[in-house]
Amino acid sequence: MYNANKTCWNCPAAKLMGNVDFRACGQARDKGLDLGEEEEIVIECRRRPELGYFEPNITFEQCPEWTPTEYGYILKEMKVMILGIDGYLGWSLALKLAKLGFQVSGLDNFTRRDCVMEKGAHTIVPIKRMTERLEVARDVLGININFRKLNLNATAKLREFLEEVKPESIVHYAEIPSAPYSMADLEHAVKVQENNVLGTLKLLWLMKEVVPETSLIKLGTMGEYGTPLTGRPLYEGLFPADAIIEWDDRKWSLGGETTPRDPASFYHVSKVQDTFNILEACKYWWLRSYDVMQGVIFGVYTEELAMDNRLRTRYDIDEWFGTVINRFVAQAVVNIPLTIYGKGEQIRGFIALNDAMQCMIRLIISPPEPGQYDVVNQVSGLHKLSELAESVAHVGKEKFDLDVKIQRLENPRVEADTHPFEVVSKKLPHVFGFTPQITLEEEIERIFAVLKEPEIKNRIEMKKHTIMPITTWQGKKREMKVLERYDPGTKPIKGFKPKFDN
Amino acid sequence: MKNRNVIFGIDGIPFELMEKLSNNDIMPNFKQLKSEYIFKRLRSSIPHISSVSWSSIITGKNPGEHGIFGFTDIINNTYSLSFPNFNALKSKPFWHQKPEKKHIIINVPSTYPAKKLNGIHIAGFVALDLQKAVYPDKYFQKLQGIGYEIDVDSKIAHQQSNDIFFDELFRVLYIRKKTFDLLWKELKWDNFMPVITGSDRIGHFFWHVYEDYKNPLYHRFLEYFQEIDNIIGEIYNKLNEDDTFIILSDHGMERNKYNINLNTYLEDQGFLILAENLKKYNRISKGSKAFVLDPGRIYINKKGSYPNGTVKKEDEKIILDELESLFYNLKYEKQRVIKKVYKRDDIYSGKERNRAPDMVLVEKKGFNLKSGIGKEKIFEEENTLSGKHNENSFILINKEINVKSPSVEDIVGFLG
Repeated sequence: MYNANKTCWNCPAAKLMGNVDFRACGQARDKGLDLGEEEEIVIECRRRPELGYFEPNITFEQCPEWTPTEYGYILKEMKVMILGIDGYLGWSLALKLAKLGFQVSGLDNFTRRDCVMEKGAHTIVPIKRMTERLEVARDVLGININFRKLNLNATAKLREFLEEVKPESIVHYAEIPSAPYSMADLEHAVKVQENNVLGTLKLLWLMKEVVPETSLIKLGTMGEYGTPLTGRPLYEGLFPADAIIEWDDRKWSLGGETTPRDPASFYHVSKVQDTFNILEACKYWWLRSYDVMQGVIFGVYTEELAMDNRLRTRYDIDEWFGTVINRFVAQAVVNIPLTIYGKGEQIRGFIALNDAMQCMIRLIISPPEPGQYDVVNQVSGLHKLSELAESVAHVGKEKFDLDVKIQRLENPRVEADTHPFEVVSKKLPHVFGFTPQITLEEEIERIFAVLKEPEIKNRIEMKKHTIMPITTWQGKKREMKVLERYDPGTKPIKGFKPKFDN
Repeated sequence: MKNRNVIFGIDGIPFELMEKLSNNDIMPNFKQLKSEYIFKRLRSSIPHISSVSWSSIITGKNPGEHGIFGFTDIINNTYSLSFPNFNALKSKPFWHQKPEKKHIIINVPSTYPAKKLNGIHIAGFVALDLQKAVYPDKYFQKLQGIGYEIDVDSKIAHQQSNDIFFDELFRVLYIRKKTFDLLWKELKWDNFMPVITGSDRIGHFFWHVYEDYKNPLYHRFLEYFQEIDNIIGEIYNKLNEDDTFIILSDHGMERNKYNINLNTYLEDQGFLILAENLKKYNRISKGSKAFVLDPGRIYINKKGSYPNGTVKKEDEKIILDELESLFYNLKYEKQRVIKKVYKRDDIYSGKERNRAPDMVLVEKKGFNLKSGIGKEKIFEEENTLSGKHNENSFILINKEINVKSPSVEDIVGFLG
């Protein structure tokens, strides 16, 4: 198994006690991790205190606290805290983890519900109040989730919760994930950055003080990289060892340096700022983190979500919080032409909900080393928006007999709508053993099946006016002009061909 | 109190150094004592390192009984090193053997975490949390108040200049002395056992200074032992007539020139196969016959005992014989470097014997045995630590003993 050779060095149960240097029979005073060649790290295991002091070298395969599963070795009853547990991803992950035997806790202050309501929209897949969701989870899945209504910016209360739970991994989904929301006006831009950047910064300080051995799995976005017009590959956060920059007849290695970021909204800027804050915290304080550059998420399915309608996760289609595939399917269901912005030749990385959850589990159970900051590009495929519209229309026609149209709108965003796109995503498949479990078309079909349910279709109808974009990057609200309407399959697909290095 | 015992420990000091520094009047108090009482060589433990030796001194047992075989051990069914502490000691120290007596135990290595006793216990290194090193709790704050240190910070020696490390050695010595003084009067004790451990560090880092009177730090080396001698004098002057006074070391020290990386030798000879991409002992691969833990402890890679253990029980003896001959034939510039190869049953007896190394090596003068897993060269010149342990410890005792050649296991028997 891919994480069999990980050791206590990676394990959150290992508590750093100090250093010894038996060359001269001595011990060092600091509890440093920047060791000399022959110094030993001394740890205690919170789970196996009978081992006393030892070096962090027991492998997961050798340790009875780690048990083999289909996802790799899992730390028994590992305590995972999900920040933003009420959200689309947070809820899905909570159920999956708890069902696998993790001890799940989570916090949320329902910002997402409030933001969507502020827009006059709603989740088209109805979700209950958190108390009811937890009850259903208990009744149907037999799981208990320790929930706290809490704002990440409420430092004292967050500290209390961390001290109470002492999570062994923290998954950070508690950010406002919307580019247009952050571009609406001054108030929204500040709200996004305050929530995202300051919330994460506060979390980092508290982790340093309360749970320094806990790994932080932080949701970033592929959008941090932008879409470089040179076609430079989007490496996984850091340049590979053999990358070289050449200028003025001289060459330098770029290996290990952070790659350029080119965010495309104040929301994306907040994610970039997070990246650097986390990177620095790992450097200064030996925290450990995986920064997950997730592609655009889509889908409705995980095994747990599908077990009972009351367990489903939220599903947004509005201009601010809907993601492109999810929105396309909703449009198709209520006979609105699928809206693509500009030329529609933008290429993005995508991943289905269930595959994203698989990735997260693998990252949680294979924690980074102390001080390690690493980035994974969590993407299972690259698609051009115009092609996606064709795919949705195709599935709608073939499987559900829907007559779907496509329309191009003027682009409200400041972005290249034609660009080369090469994404490197090797770590998840090759280091963490990730294999996508579902194709794009299969997941689109699943979405159609859910969205065509009468209640949900009705909820789309009620809020379909929130789908069309009115937020421009210039900070003005206006309706976008329709540039073209056409039938699927009638236009040649233009633009660059994506390249996926996986 | 009648028939009290004071056991004053000086870690890592050889018989020869005490002899020389007392004869040279650097240690006049000790000179006086050795002229009046018994001053002998004391055989250290095998291997001669503090954790093993002090465990024998305080229990009166050999490692096969007390279960401490080194600073490190291998955790069952792993290749991960553990650092056995007081919880791993399988025999009772004298203060638990005689709970009716009152004891004050200060800075004895490998007695962390401190456990309940009739008296006061401040554990010595390795003790990474002072609070857990102190019993009863109420002394924790007192010790914090005087800036108590478990150990000198050896990192200073690696990262800062030698004179700053000397400052650290003296600073910690004065704190130690202050602690001895503070606790001497704290209660009416039967056994008082203070240990100085900076003496071992000074030996490791500055043995070359000791051997070179022109070295600018030479006077500071001597001054350190003058201070120890002052402490000895002050303690002696406070004793009652019927008190037993023992001064001893746990092992000796001598000049170190070359480190021998024994795992590299085993690898070179095909007894050890190391995988790439893994760390330290996890690199031991299937097919490996043996490996070494510091300082010269040889373990057969037995099937059923280790994750990649492959040696069957019936093959163990053959491999041990092969190893014995292999080590005796290890040479540096045509000279053999291993003085003695001990097999487990030659030196260890008792219920913990099965956990003992299968073989222990003792090196010749000038060589230091290291596990050195993954090192490139078998022999490496030592540039940082000029002193290394040897078996020549010493004992001074103010009463007759009927043991001709005492060892660390005899000390408990000398207590009144």
